[in-house]
Amino acid sequence: MKNILTPFEKINKNTKLFISLGWVFVVVLTWYLSSMGERHLFPSPQQVFQGLAELYNEGLVVHIGSSLLLCFSAIIIAIIISLIFSYLSTIPLVQPVAKALSKLRYLPLTGITFYLAILISDARTMQIWVLVVFMSTYLTTSLLSMVNSIPQEEFDHARSLGCNRWEVLWEVVVKGRIDYVIDVIRQNLAIVWMMLVTVESILVAAGGLGFLIKNSDKFMNHGRIIALQIVILVVGLLIDFVLDYLRKGFFRYSKI
Amino acid sequence: MQYTSQNTLLYVENLSVAYGDKTIIKDINIVEKDTVRDGSVTGQVIAVVGRSGTGKSTFFRALTGLVKPTTGKVLIADTTTDSIDDAKEVHEGDIGFVDQKYTLFRNKTVYEALQFALRNKEMSKEEKDKQILTYLKDWGLEKAKDQYPCELSGGQRQRTAIIEQIFCSGHYMVLDEPFSGLDVGNIQDVKNAFKLITESHEFNTIIYSTHDIELAVELADSIYVIGYPEIDGKKMPYGSIVKHIDMKALGIAWKEFGLEHLDIVKQIKEVMLQS
Ligand SMILES: Nc1ncnc2c1ncn2[C@@H]1O[C@H](COP(=O)(O)OP(=O)(O)O)[C@@H](O)[C@H]1O
Repeated sequence: MKNILTPFEKINKNTKLFISLGWVFVVVLTWYLSSMGERHLFPSPQQVFQGLAELYNEGLVVHIGSSLLLCFSAIIIAIIISLIFSYLSTIPLVQPVAKALSKLRYLPLTGITFYLAILISDARTMQIWVLVVFMSTYLTTSLLSMVNSIPQEEFDHARSLGCNRWEVLWEVVVKGRIDYVIDVIRQNLAIVWMMLVTVESILVAAGGLGFLIKNSDKFMNHGRIIALQIVILVVGLLIDFVLDYLRKGFFRYSKI
Repeated sequence: MQYTSQNTLLYVENLSVAYGDKTIIKDINIVEKDTVRDGSVTGQVIAVVGRSGTGKSTFFRALTGLVKPTTGKVLIADTTTDSIDDAKEVHEGDIGFVDQKYTLFRNKTVYEALQFALRNKEMSKEEKDKQILTYLKDWGLEKAKDQYPCELSGGQRQRTAIIEQIFCSGHYMVLDEPFSGLDVGNIQDVKNAFKLITESHEFNTIIYSTHDIELAVELADSIYVIGYPEIDGKKMPYGSIVKHIDMKALGIAWKEFGLEHLDIVKQIKEVMLQS
């Protein structure tokens, strides 16, 4: 028992499970305790379940679907843009452009929304492009650091096998690092997922989880808000898990 | 042992490499000729020894055309022409290079990597397949055929890297520290590999670096010591060749390791400590 308080101590599987269950118990207990009494901080579990049921009846599944669709459309466009710039960043002429794109992540959201609103009239398209602009900057940042961290030996190895520079780019950077791209998407997904909800609630549009949050805010319905937060968290974690699973499943050599 | 020196195979003249303002190696001159012995195919084995940081890796990168020399040139025999004396400036891909970490394509299995190494050879698919399988068998890699580099042991990775270079490049092969981090069995494997390579063609030339002076003296027929040269009593901040030992001329190349070899080891160690 003393072992679980010792730094760097290796513990067995059962102890691990025991510790996890202990923490879950603590969380649930805290929730119950803090939702008792008059001025409670959290809604009680019953209220949350009730909120969840309400949400379900209002078409929660459709809203999740809508959010996922928005998310994937944006990711696909953004990853294509970022990949092109990151791969081409190995060319001296393109490198400054790629670096600049990555720096744009410090731009505030409002400025971008303003200009996109002038260019695009359709709300859905606009949502997608706000996300695309944002994600491209973050994805490019991660992809650039992926390209930069490839050891010189790998380039030398390809060159010593008679690859010309374009083949080196193709073999070492593009083909040799596909699994990293999936991981980059996965790591940036958290930002996107957070942004997605914001983007959906800023713009009046075709539903989605952000729309639901905005709606619940209005009624000050605590149960609903917490239920939604949990749903969003769980869906986000699920995507994370699926991407990691895909990477490991498709790329046996992938040990990141 | 009787031998004659014929065509020049490697000619390095006045070579220097600088990164920015910092000169790493300078004034490197090497002439290595084809060694011919009656009754046997004799390739060349050249060892480069020197303390860490003296520029051995940099020298190898220049030798293999991976880095452009700041001054000077590296010439190798052009074996694609009919004339035997043709020389050409080295270009990346001409000389095989196996680095210290035995780098491979992380996304290719052993078999795929070897296929890739043969991609430009004019052979039918069946011939390539046969050649790969033969090598895998000879080099004890049959079981590792479909494994990725991250699933291979150090020795297996190194052998794969060596076969890749045999498949792809001509008669020259540079190996940076091929004996480091290997166990007794693996070291024997590499020695056998050297033998296989040098006995398969007259022109085949192996250039390798090592920290194990005994292994340099035992295997090589020509040894270069790289260190910081002393000019007018002042030690220079760049690496250069401070001693060359021609084991052939001394008559102790291709012989069992003996007292004469031990003497050479002692000499080399002294030079290395001084420079
Ligand atoms: N790309 C580089 N840029 C600047 N300095 C380098 C570079 N590569 C190597 N050096 C320097 O060159 C010197 C020789 O390194 P190296 O050739 O690796 O020596 P060795 O292989 O003998 O240990 C070291 O001082 C190292 O810091």
